[in-house]
Amino acid sequence: MAVLGNSLQRSKPQPHPSRARTAMVRRLVLAVLVLVALGLLTISFRSPNSGFLHDAQSYGSDALRPFQIAAVRVARPFRDAYDYVDSLASAKSQNAKLRKMVEDYRSQALLNASAVQQNNDLKSLLHFEAGPQYPKDFRAVNTAVVAFPSGAFSQQIVIDAGSDSGIHLNTPVVSADGLVGKVTTVGHSTSVVTLLTDPTSAVPARDLKTHVSGLIRHGQGGTLILDRVSKDQVVNKGDWIVTRGTVDRRYPDEYPYGIPIGRVVAVGTSDIASFLTVQVQPLADMSSLDAVAALVPKHARAKP
Amino acid sequence: MTFADGLKAAALLFVAAIAQVSIFSQLHVYGGVPQLVLVTLVGVALLRGAIVGAIAGFFAGLVVDTATLGQLGLTSLVLTVSGYWIGRYGETTGRDRGHAPFLSVAVVTFLYAFGILLVTFMLGERAPAGAEMRSLLPTIVMNLVLTAPAYALVRLLLRPRERADYATEVQLLG
Repeated sequence: MAVLGNSLQRSKPQPHPSRARTAMVRRLVLAVLVLVALGLLTISFRSPNSGFLHDAQSYGSDALRPFQIAAVRVARPFRDAYDYVDSLASAKSQNAKLRKMVEDYRSQALLNASAVQQNNDLKSLLHFEAGPQYPKDFRAVNTAVVAFPSGAFSQQIVIDAGSDSGIHLNTPVVSADGLVGKVTTVGHSTSVVTLLTDPTSAVPARDLKTHVSGLIRHGQGGTLILDRVSKDQVVNKGDWIVTRGTVDRRYPDEYPYGIPIGRVVAVGTSDIASFLTVQVQPLADMSSLDAVAALVPKHARAKP
Repeated sequence: MTFADGLKAAALLFVAAIAQVSIFSQLHVYGGVPQLVLVTLVGVALLRGAIVGAIAGFFAGLVVDTATLGQLGLTSLVLTVSGYWIGRYGETTGRDRGHAPFLSVAVVTFLYAFGILLVTFMLGERAPAGAEMRSLLPTIVMNLVLTAPAYALVRLLLRPRERADYATEVQLLG
């Protein structure tokens, strides 16, 4: 009882030495890893396309490439099966639409052939000098897509070709349907392509029919916007939009003239807006790119 | 954590990271993308604790950033902190709880998205929070769907530790 009544304070419990050490080690490991990650991030951010770290990352990417290709190949049958089932659902309506389009294009092709002939004759008469023409002055580096954007706001893909194949910064990249984007980071055998749908992307473009020029930027829901088109100009729904190419040889454009980008799906305006709102549906399906082609100029002087 | 366990965890996260960048990143459902690497990391960290969780997160992030030629260190930074946090939860409150993997995945998916946004914003790059937040719910749902099979696989490879092995800071008085 005397013990219970003792007012002596119990000493503050000391942590078990091994547990205290564990806690310290745990925090130390976290601190070291965070500091290393911050260091890598700082160096990578300061020199994204050159330097020791970029080279090391590029070699690392080369080493990972076989695994990525293997993963894509493993997934391909499943993806093909999904695409097959998906396409079956819309095959009937598409068939009728495509038949009509083939008829239209057949008559259009005849007119185009005679126009091309006439154009060549006139060019030779005028001794007309032009920049590199798409596609004849470019070599297509056909390559597989090995990695896809991982976040909601990341609009980049990684392709299985790099500086070893002649690819350099700003090389245009196309798919079978049309323009996809341009190379923004080059490794030895892999490259990063920033898609047209990326917020930072801006491509000088023109309306094939009305010759109105503007800038292709990203729009809502995977569409594109033909920006900087003043309200007094005419753009019609259904018009084809292609790359504008070089206008002034002193300021060569990154994209050659004539790469198809998309088709105008809506044209709008408002009283307060200075420009038309031209919504363009891209021809290339950015969400399912299997293979693309990087356009490398055939001759060193043939820059866009 | 034995050397064999470390190798198994590294192999598992390596495969998850490669599958993430090459396969899962293509699966867009209502704007959301399933994050296999995050779900696998949750499994490893819950079963092996904070230190392994942090190291595993750093390693997985490094593989992802290298494979995508992205900002080296960005994913590592966020996954390191995520792995550490999940590991601590697994060592303490979440120990032996059946719902721990699901709760961890849901919370860490949110924190991961927020972390990536924050670091991207701090780097001065465009970080559209609206787009990320809109895709967050479908991403959480898809991650939760992945949780059960992924956690079962991780548990099969990395057997749960004995109770005495857990690092705790709870002390008895007296």
